Amino acid sequence: MSDVVIQATNLSVDVQSKQILKNISFQVLKGEVLALLGGNGAGKSTTIKTFLGLMKPTSGDVSLVGVSVPTNPDVVRKQVAYLPESVMLYGHLTAIENIRYFLSLSGKQKSDEDIAVSLKRVALQSSSWHQPLSGYSKGMRQKTAIALALLRDAPILFLDEPTSGLDPVAIDEFNRLINQLASQGATILMVTHDVYGACHVANRIGLLRDGELVGMFDAPAEGNIDSEVVHKAFSQGSEA
Amino acid sequence: MNFLDVRRETVFLLRKKSIALLLLAGFLLASFSVWTGSVDVAQQHQTIERLLVGDSVDREEVTHKHHDYGYIAYYTFHLTYAPPSPLAFAALGVRDIYPWKHRVRMLALEGQIHESDTPNPELALAGKIDFTFVIAVFSPLLLILLLHDLRASERAAGRHDFLVVTARTRNSLWPLRTAILMVALWLALIVPFLLGCAVNGVGIVDVFMISAIVLVYLLFWSVICYLVARLAFPAPVLASLLLGGWLLTTFIIPAVGDVVIEEAYHGPEGGNILMTQREAVNDAWDLPHQVTMDAFLETHPQWQGKTQTTSLFEWKWYFAFQQVGDEKALPLAIAYQQTAEDRYRAAGYIALLSPATLLKRALTHWAHTDAPAAWHYEQQVRAFHAELRQFYYPFLFNGTPYSEASLADRPVFTPYKNTER
Repeated sequence: MSDVVIQATNLSVDVQSKQILKNISFQVLKGEVLALLGGNGAGKSTTIKTFLGLMKPTSGDVSLVGVSVPTNPDVVRKQVAYLPESVMLYGHLTAIENIRYFLSLSGKQKSDEDIAVSLKRVALQSSSWHQPLSGYSKGMRQKTAIALALLRDAPILFLDEPTSGLDPVAIDEFNRLINQLASQGATILMVTHDVYGACHVANRIGLLRDGELVGMFDAPAEGNIDSEVVHKAFSQGSEA
Repeated sequence: MNFLDVRRETVFLLRKKSIALLLLAGFLLASFSVWTGSVDVAQQHQTIERLLVGDSVDREEVTHKHHDYGYIAYYTFHLTYAPPSPLAFAALGVRDIYPWKHRVRMLALEGQIHESDTPNPELALAGKIDFTFVIAVFSPLLLILLLHDLRASERAAGRHDFLVVTARTRNSLWPLRTAILMVALWLALIVPFLLGCAVNGVGIVDVFMISAIVLVYLLFWSVICYLVARLAFPAPVLASLLLGGWLLTTFIIPAVGDVVIEEAYHGPEGGNILMTQREAVNDAWDLPHQVTMDAFLETHPQWQGKTQTTSLFEWKWYFAFQQVGDEKALPLAIAYQQTAEDRYRAAGYIALLSPATLLKRALTHWAHTDAPAAWHYEQQVRAFHAELRQFYYPFLFNGTPYSEASLADRPVFTPYKNTER
């Protein structure tokens, strides 16, 4: 039995006659973290949305644990936790109420203790747990969303610019959490333009440029990365 | 979808101030309409009670004052009425346009009935704010406000995709939210109605039927809102689309339909009937008695040989020309009624394009406050008036000596039971 959990096969996605993704293929194995790097408009978010069943492939296929997403979106979503770049949880609800609401929406029931543990893991101050999210900073909202993702116990995580808005300490905490989840068997696909951050958490890094997967390599040890790689990832406009 | 889903979304949605305010507005509107409808119906009952008492007093006075069948027939008024059904408080219908009470005399009847014209009231929605009006006109508006931005607001807040991906099943999110808001609005509207039913003594079948009709109507609009809310447009665009549809079907189509029907179906006016009958009656004063009696005998051959008169004024001649006046106006009255029925039928076709009008027709039909109910009452009045003539004619044409005791057999109007439910 293959350990392939996330798979894109010859994936192309057109939006209003414009080709956003161009025949990309990749796999993510169980317990692996793959970071897709690219500049604005490279197709990073489109890739994630296609895996979430929010966009349909024009050609090719995406599958999770061997199940085609376009034909079975409801089936595969049950195994997925998704963390958008700027998740807007409900402002009139507190962090705990938001978590309870979204857990219930996903069909999960967790105890107050579990929720407290998760909120502590993301280092959200306990004094704010019962405050409406409308008074939260972007970083605090993001921490709440990360706590929620952890509580989902999903074997597959899709992270869209997950550290956006977090302070350096929180980013460090987040990276540790991701590594911990991966070591426990979670399979993670994250898209980011934070090259250095990606090197800290990912096992492999894919380079997306103008909808094409132009490179795939193992993340360098110690998080050091060649400046040429950074240049390749973000120079799509100037090289055209 | 399970009970936990329903509880979660219900608690979540009802915590939103905008939703709570809209539901409160629906509840207050429905309460106001039920209250005004109940007051209106109570006033109709009071009017009937008052008129019944006055009618009885008048009749006694006439009986004591006159000792001649002709005078008594001439001066005695008889109250006819169609009491409001218990459900009328919720659907006042056309009772403010069509008469529901007449104090008739033995004189020519058609003029008494057609003192005023009745247009196409079922297409004139801007009337009293009764429960039917609140449901037909306001409830879609409230639903549109509740549902138009179901997804658009989440999209604008950047939550849409997150919600979709997180939801355990497709039905546990948007369809469930739509259903909960629809049921919440239905409850907000129907609770005042149920209280009104309890106060007005409405039967359980009527309560069930009206509640079900209202639910189906809200379901129809909810499906429309749900489908439109799926479109990936900003909330103001979606609201404009839905409000346009509401305006078109609720006001524009009935208004245009009214104009088209008025143009398509022509018939005599009530005033024509009144004038024809009055002219016939007035002309009779100048005609030889025998001319009137000959015309009368054509429809009442049983009085052959008993129509001769010996003085300038005799009651049998007077009431005979009243009868002849009615008969001259009868073709116009039939044409008038036929036109009204044709217009009503055509309005039914227009209603197929206007859910609000269709609902109004259904509720007023169920409450016996629609045009056919009014026509039925008219026929009751005609039948009662014919009974009066049948009662008095033998005394008048046979020259029976007056006996007050015989008046005990005089017909008394009995309102049709269906109007009382």
